[in-house]
Amino acid sequence: MKKFLFSISVLFGICVHVSGQNKQLLYDFNEIPQSLMVNPGVVTDFDWYSGVPLLSGLSFQAGSSGISVNDIFADDGIDVNVKIRERAILGMSPSDELSGTYQVELLNFGFRGANPSVFYSLGLYHEGDAIGYWFKDYAILAVEGNADKLNQRFDLGHLRTRGEMLNVFHFGVNKKVNSQLTIGGRAKVYSSILDFNSTGNSGYFVTTEGQNNIFASTINANMELRTSGAASLSNAQDDGNLASTFLKRGLFGGNLGVGVDLGFSYNFNEQTILTASVLDLGFIYHTDNVRSYTLNGSATVEGVEIILPDALADPNRDFWQDLVDEIETFVPFERNSESYISFRPTKLNASLRYNFGKQLPTRVDCDCKTAFRSGGFPPRYTNGIGGQLYMINRPRGPQMALSAFYLRRLGNAMAIKTTYTVDKFSYTNVGLGLNLQAGPVNLYVLADNLLAYRNLADSRYASLQFGLNIISWGRN
Amino acid sequence: MLRTYLLFGLIILNSCVEKQDFDQFDEISLQPELEASVLYVTAPEALINLAPAANFYAQDFNFDAFNEDYFAERVIEGSITYLVENTTSKELEVSVQFLDDTDTVLDTEIFTVPAAPTPILEREIAYGNGGRSIEIIRNTSSIRVIASNLGDSTSISDLPEPMITLRSSGRFRLLVR
Repeated sequence: MKKFLFSISVLFGICVHVSGQNKQLLYDFNEIPQSLMVNPGVVTDFDWYSGVPLLSGLSFQAGSSGISVNDIFADDGIDVNVKIRERAILGMSPSDELSGTYQVELLNFGFRGANPSVFYSLGLYHEGDAIGYWFKDYAILAVEGNADKLNQRFDLGHLRTRGEMLNVFHFGVNKKVNSQLTIGGRAKVYSSILDFNSTGNSGYFVTTEGQNNIFASTINANMELRTSGAASLSNAQDDGNLASTFLKRGLFGGNLGVGVDLGFSYNFNEQTILTASVLDLGFIYHTDNVRSYTLNGSATVEGVEIILPDALADPNRDFWQDLVDEIETFVPFERNSESYISFRPTKLNASLRYNFGKQLPTRVDCDCKTAFRSGGFPPRYTNGIGGQLYMINRPRGPQMALSAFYLRRLGNAMAIKTTYTVDKFSYTNVGLGLNLQAGPVNLYVLADNLLAYRNLADSRYASLQFGLNIISWGRN
Repeated sequence: MLRTYLLFGLIILNSCVEKQDFDQFDEISLQPELEASVLYVTAPEALINLAPAANFYAQDFNFDAFNEDYFAERVIEGSITYLVENTTSKELEVSVQFLDDTDTVLDTEIFTVPAAPTPILEREIAYGNGGRSIEIIRNTSSIRVIASNLGDSTSISDLPEPMITLRSSGRFRLLVR
């Protein structure tokens, strides 16, 4: 067995767990232990499982709701500047986003407790997440400028972004309350390495007809950028100790937070299951290495103004510097180190599944765990069909995705799940997941947005997950 | 099972990427055109009449907008538009000179406006791209304004609040990329 595991580990090199924020293929795919990470209240029948330590997860996901690589760089003979103007500058809206997530799972294992109706899971993963909305008016200013745009307000609120890097230590409890209900919770401690957010900006820049001079330029700003850890990492890079600083901040040496995942599965009857979970209901309190920047105020200028005879009073007056000082007084750019709280991007999942077809034999060892068996598990059927809802809290409000899925089990050795998902990235997102069980070895591959593989450059969203676990049902 | 493996393999491995031309990145051009007021000067006729000499105002003043590094390194062309309005009873001359940091005159624009009633004098001076040298703009660090009375120093216009007013705005294209 050890040789087999070693071979598998070497073969895969790394157990990659690539996932977007929406893990609709993994959700309620309870053959896979990682489904506990998206619903701590999922129905589990494992005795224990373990991901390969340090090799159990590397993930990357990126999505762009407004534009694809192909839109700009297709070899189509169209001037790239025309494409940028028509497809990006004018074609995208401020609600379009570019977002990315990665996850590196360092430890993940679970075991059934002395009370066999309780399953524990715990581990540690590293996560990075960032989102930036299309800063449309900034882009128009940068590309076209403000000439010939009299009275057009450039919305400074178009700058909305947030991002973070952190380690998450977690411990989950999954409890089968009775034959119908399973509940679960996962406590999380966040160790923030880096955080930045600028999400509550408002204001505008506008050029209007001047009162005295030809034009009046007005800025009205209420902007803030909050960061923690950035200065520390920047200094560490200069000092050549980036890795150790990164590690230290990720192991409780940075800013800390707490959170919780909650979930349940409820069987209306043998064939109909309702599930729901809320993930990352938590926050991080940033007190260490905080650097925040604000730009607040309002000012209107009409160039250097020399009004006689007043200007004769001080012949040495520096009108230009006065103008600069006036702007800085009315719209001060300030820095501070005040502590702040950042809330994690909370996710909500829910599903309703109807099972049908043949019942499958149980995988649980029938010679032990009597109490565990006594409550009984809902029978597993060869087919399952249903719908899922996903929501995530984002800087511009909640985002939602709806999925329809079909699950097919081929004995206890293989299960296939396919999904069709509609969200802001795509209306044609078809995903396919495959779970294989070869003795104790569990391998799964989940691929999202498969139609985009016809031309990856034209894809606005892609997600691929695969992983490797060792699972025991008590008879391995 | 094998067929399912193959299905996955085919989907993932047979994914395609249509031909992309990333050399287009080098062709991306950012040339915003910025517009803002530059200089506003006004003097009432009463002040002009009180001046002991015809040259009633002459002053150099610091103006760093054009030679700020970001602007000076990227400006490629543009223009300055002047509007000169004279509601006084006398002919006036306003001279605007751009000076570098050694006080060398780089450019001079003279506006002679007849006594009121007279239309607003509008003049646009182009720099770069066939106009005057854009180096004038890049090197300007101060502006000299000289205003002279070419008429008498006793008359008063019938118009309300008679004065000489010079308004100006700049419109410049920057080569950001």
